[in-house]
Amino acid sequence: MLTNTYQNPYLPTPMHVLRAYYESTDRTLKTLELSFDNPQDRLAFFRKFNPGQFCQLSVFGKGESPLGVASAAWEGDFVRFTVQKMGAVTKALHRLQPGDPIGMRGPLGNGFPLSKWKGKNLVIIGGGCAFSTLYALTKHVQHPQNRPDFGQIIVIYGARSSGLCMYKHDIQSWYQREDMEVHQAIDVPEEDWMHHVGYVPDVVKEVAPSPVNAVAVVCGPPIMTKFTLPALVQLGFPPDAIFTSLEKRMKCGLGKCGRCNLGSKYICKDGPVFSLAELNALPADI
Amino acid sequence: MTELETKIRAEAERLLSEHLVDVVVAFRKEDAPLHPQPAFFTQVDELQDLVYNGLCANNLANYLTRHPQETRIGMVVRGCENRSVNALVVEKQHTRENLVLIGIPCEGILDWRHIVALTGENVLSVEENGESVCVHTRENTFAFSRVELLHPSCQRCLHPNPISADVLLGELKPEGDPELMRLRIEALENLTLEERNAWFRHEAERCIRCYACREACPMCYCTECFVDHTEPRWSESGVTPAGMQAWHIVRAFHQTGRCTSCGACERACPMDIQMTYLTDKLNLDMIDAYQFEVGMDTTTQPPFATLTLDDKNRFITRGK
Amino acid sequence: MAYRLPKKGLDQTLRAWAEQSKVFAPQKREGYAQFLPWKAGVELLLDEPHNTRFPPKAFLLPQSETLLTYNRKLNQLETPTLQISPRIIFGIRPCDAHAVALLDTVFATQENPDPYWRARREQTILIGVGCNQPATTCFCTSVGSSPFDHAGLDAIFTDIGEAYLVETFTERGEALFAGLPQAEANDEGQARSIQQQAEAGLTPAFATDNLKDHLDQIFDSSLWNEFAQSCLGCGICTFLCPTCFCFDIVDEAQRDERVRNWDTCMFRIYSLEASGHNPRPSRAERTRQRLMHKFSYWIEHANQFGCTGCGRCVRYCPVGLDIRAMLRKAAATPSEVVHAN
Repeated sequence: MLTNTYQNPYLPTPMHVLRAYYESTDRTLKTLELSFDNPQDRLAFFRKFNPGQFCQLSVFGKGESPLGVASAAWEGDFVRFTVQKMGAVTKALHRLQPGDPIGMRGPLGNGFPLSKWKGKNLVIIGGGCAFSTLYALTKHVQHPQNRPDFGQIIVIYGARSSGLCMYKHDIQSWYQREDMEVHQAIDVPEEDWMHHVGYVPDVVKEVAPSPVNAVAVVCGPPIMTKFTLPALVQLGFPPDAIFTSLEKRMKCGLGKCGRCNLGSKYICKDGPVFSLAELNALPADI
Repeated sequence: MTELETKIRAEAERLLSEHLVDVVVAFRKEDAPLHPQPAFFTQVDELQDLVYNGLCANNLANYLTRHPQETRIGMVVRGCENRSVNALVVEKQHTRENLVLIGIPCEGILDWRHIVALTGENVLSVEENGESVCVHTRENTFAFSRVELLHPSCQRCLHPNPISADVLLGELKPEGDPELMRLRIEALENLTLEERNAWFRHEAERCIRCYACREACPMCYCTECFVDHTEPRWSESGVTPAGMQAWHIVRAFHQTGRCTSCGACERACPMDIQMTYLTDKLNLDMIDAYQFEVGMDTTTQPPFATLTLDDKNRFITRGK
Repeated sequence: MAYRLPKKGLDQTLRAWAEQSKVFAPQKREGYAQFLPWKAGVELLLDEPHNTRFPPKAFLLPQSETLLTYNRKLNQLETPTLQISPRIIFGIRPCDAHAVALLDTVFATQENPDPYWRARREQTILIGVGCNQPATTCFCTSVGSSPFDHAGLDAIFTDIGEAYLVETFTERGEALFAGLPQAEANDEGQARSIQQQAEAGLTPAFATDNLKDHLDQIFDSSLWNEFAQSCLGCGICTFLCPTCFCFDIVDEAQRDERVRNWDTCMFRIYSLEASGHNPRPSRAERTRQRLMHKFSYWIEHANQFGCTGCGRCVRYCPVGLDIRAMLRKAAATPSEVVHAN
């Protein structure tokens, strides 16, 4: 298949759709679980993979779309993505059925600095479909082998409505776990909703996680992130203990095509995960 | 400073100091020789930078759509720019009441590339004196008659005089000869199909898809151009023959009944691609089929923007 | 090594090269200088003070190139063979060769080298002709280059009247001139004085001391709006730029190909996201990006400006925006508080 002599970073790995299911009742969010066609690709992927990284998914004839990985390595020999229907590629991704071929480049980007977080309490704050990489992070730290590396774990996850809440059944089971605290929120009240109502920044203030020996990681729509970061600063989290994952239009994923730069940093290569301290030193070009 | 520049500055100063406009759109003195810049004057004391000469190559009407309708704009307009402004007013892109057009009967735009081709790259300054033009380069001085340096679109210009300016500065010029444009198009029409195809391909194949022609054109103001549309995609985006040809032909078609033949597209093109032959052909068709010339008033819609029951085409009549 | 090549021997040299490689050299077509295949008898444009209009970066990074083809039925991907035949670009100006060296820091990287770039780069020999008389739009000496810069070149020619002084910098450059008589001290002396004279003829176009830091500090200035007022938002300055490398990756479904095309930060859709959000919504942010990338971000990436002073953007900007004047204005703009976020 490959005839050039160099490792070609533009060449997608051949994958197949293992499972495909809607994540939200309005069918704008669909989860795809992909399996590797070649075992060596699988090995290469998991050698490099770290929660917080993303991949470029290819629908041939439509193009590529960057998506955060929503699964942890221990979950199985597949890679999970949750796709919001937006442009031409994500619409095509929504049409895929189990058994359909698909291309994938990755893992790309830095991922969460887990080794630096060892021994810390984790405050995981997500909103909307950007929660997907935080889901991967939570799954990762939940594994019995990884769990002792971290202290207390608090997850705060908000969605516009209960119908848009992702990974429902799994998250429901988290409430039974004694090793973590879960707070879910929706924007406006609904009948039968047992959890928080309100915007994520307000829920964060309400839950008021302690900044002592803790890191907070925030992934959500820009407006949520914009108001959550100062809320965390106010709670006493220092800027180098607050992390967020950025999104911009991306093409190559390799720091070459140019478009995802934030100052001198490329979000695809130097990110997508940055600490607030790092962001404060970069121009507000987002 | 020329006499005409003095008059323009005085008029701009009057408009600004009497608060009759918010901004005066004109040209300012160049940073790089041969290239006066479109400029936006809001303060009287900035007007010392205002220039007007034969090298002012842009169609300033292009900047009309960058301002909200409420902005009161004073604009230096030549014949073509006046008609472009009128066409934009017809397309409801600005309110005529909020425009003050400072009309300048046009002597034609000097083609800087032609100057460079004749005198070499290192032009330092260009001196205009009526019908004669003197070009000073690092090494030499060259004398030309204005007409030999005119941009091709200006050589064929039909209406050098602003037709509906609020203020007219300078003396009216004679109208152009309509036969010039017709002769050029007829020469192309007289070629065989293969020859015409070869001509078209040859021009389109040098395209680098920089879209300077689009961005320089006052009538190309769509927020999203068809080539940038992703769903569906209307053309290949690369420099393939199919992509380049689609761009050139569709761009021209979108100008049908809207182009004033100002030639700003060709003057902007970095690859010296001829493209006005497409729009001029469509302009002639508009004249021949509909007796329509764009921008001659601020009310008449271009034929292809109107629906009338006596249209020549039958498709609008049910059952025929 | 330095050799002497009499001008009347150039044709024979090119002829010999053309037997082994494709040879491209500047010639006039459509009224401007272009790199075209050399054939016996063609007229070369070597003493024009200016550059080819279209930058020779396209030899290494074609404006459109197929990254891969896919067979949807068989679910198979294929990449082009990338068997590039050897070619010699003769008569490249030092600014354009310097730009190739800059682009090596983007594409010939340790991590994730670009296979398409590398395959072409390895097969491409760059033989420069220095600029005895730089043009009025040239400003190479202001950005760390010079009319006889060696960067990126395998060899350089200096026009010393009846002959060229040929200096080689690489083995493959050296191999092309084997058999030529070595230059005499006199030739070299003459070349040095021509080179010095050319360099002395270029005055600093803008101040570069602290330029990066200063640009970082005026990120939020209204200056960018001023530039953006007349900017058309076309791609001329970036497409004709020898160092601009941004690209887009697009699937051409009707050909079953994934293609990369040059792209530019000057286009609105370059950074427009599927959600409709655009981090650079107006020409002001886009103009700023172009200048910041070249004169601030490049410093951080490669410790060099991303500009070699070729002057194409100055010559061909349809609204006369001169990057030298823009940088002078930037330098004169007072610093503000560093990103107040």
